[in-house]
Amino acid sequence: MTKKQSRATKQAHAQRAAERAAAIRAESERKERRRRTIVVTAVVIGVLTLVVAIATIVQSGRDTTGESATPPAGVVDTYGLPRGSDGAPVTVEIYEDFMCPFCGDLEAAATDMLVGYVDAGDVQVQYKMLSFLDRASDGSDYSTRAMNAVGVVLDTAGPEAAVRLHDLLYENQPAEGTPGLDDDQLVALAVEAGADEEQVRGPIEDRAFEVWVKNATDQANQDGATSTPYVVVNDEPLDQVPTEQLVADLEAAIEAAKAE
Amino acid sequence: MTTVETAPETRRAWLPWVGVFARLLVGGVWIAAGLLKIPDPAENVRAVRAYRLLPEAVVPTLGHSLPFVELLLGLCLVIGLLVRVNAVLSCLLLVAFVVGIASAWARGLQIECGCFGGGGGSAANAAEKYPWEIARDFGLLLSSAWLVWRPRSPWALDNRVLPE
Repeated sequence: MTKKQSRATKQAHAQRAAERAAAIRAESERKERRRRTIVVTAVVIGVLTLVVAIATIVQSGRDTTGESATPPAGVVDTYGLPRGSDGAPVTVEIYEDFMCPFCGDLEAAATDMLVGYVDAGDVQVQYKMLSFLDRASDGSDYSTRAMNAVGVVLDTAGPEAAVRLHDLLYENQPAEGTPGLDDDQLVALAVEAGADEEQVRGPIEDRAFEVWVKNATDQANQDGATSTPYVVVNDEPLDQVPTEQLVADLEAAIEAAKAE
Repeated sequence: MTTVETAPETRRAWLPWVGVFARLLVGGVWIAAGLLKIPDPAENVRAVRAYRLLPEAVVPTLGHSLPFVELLLGLCLVIGLLVRVNAVLSCLLLVAFVVGIASAWARGLQIECGCFGGGGGSAANAAEKYPWEIARDFGLLLSSAWLVWRPRSPWALDNRVLPE
């Protein structure tokens, strides 16, 4: 009886010892796994952070926005194509993209009215062009090419020819999503507007004012023109409403500004 | 994991595959969102700015870095690397996006989401798109939250580099 008991006690002791050993092993394995998890996590997070940092530097290098660019001679306010004299009491800024259909609608509906005010000396229109719809021209960067062409004509033939090209581009506006006019057609319209083909062909094909176009687009975005057309009369932005209403609001705003 | 052990056999069988599905769904969307944005860094910056929520000092950095954060986050989820950490990041980003879209909507801004490239420009009928964009992000948020709760799933690199 006592022998059996002592054997049982011995066995129990041995078992408890084994359990303790196993528990210690399990504990140290648990600690080891925990340590490994922390190390692996830290390394992976470190590597990912590094990759994001490098990619960000690469990306900001690819983003030429803000690089200094010489604007075309004859601009107002760095990015504006002027229509009318600088001394006019009312300034109408129109932010627009040559690919934007609603801008085309506004041009068709408002230009005659605006020209009336311009000819009377009441208004200077400043076309603030931008190129954010480049992606909507089937890879041809139509908005940039069209705006660059206007810049080239402004630079070489002056504001009147550039304004004529601006109007011609809206009269011949391509549908959104199509490649739009090609460079030869842009040159032809530039010549029709009064520019000299020899002077404009090179800079139109080489996109001489591409960085200026990019900076203009960024500046317009900073000015609050997150959708186009965006119209500002003497620093007061108009609500973005359907074209007919917008033209009426624009005329009312000009009259109000004239009366001040 | 104790709930899995006490759950009946049938539940055990499909439960881990929810994680695989969530990883592929959320990860796939992040990869697409990142890849579509990378070609045009200037546009990303304008898209961020269009929300008019952040100071100009941080707008370019966020516009330049976000596509890569999204891409890496998506890749990690798809291959199953550090699923919990990445799922937490995914949740935080999605909450930020929902807040951004909701606030643009509430302030009457008519802007493009810019979620998958584009952005920084006008959106015709933006107000009609906002609820769908928020619903989509909310669905992705729920999937990400699942992965925070249950990060372990089959076909994941975590099972190799961080065995339980």
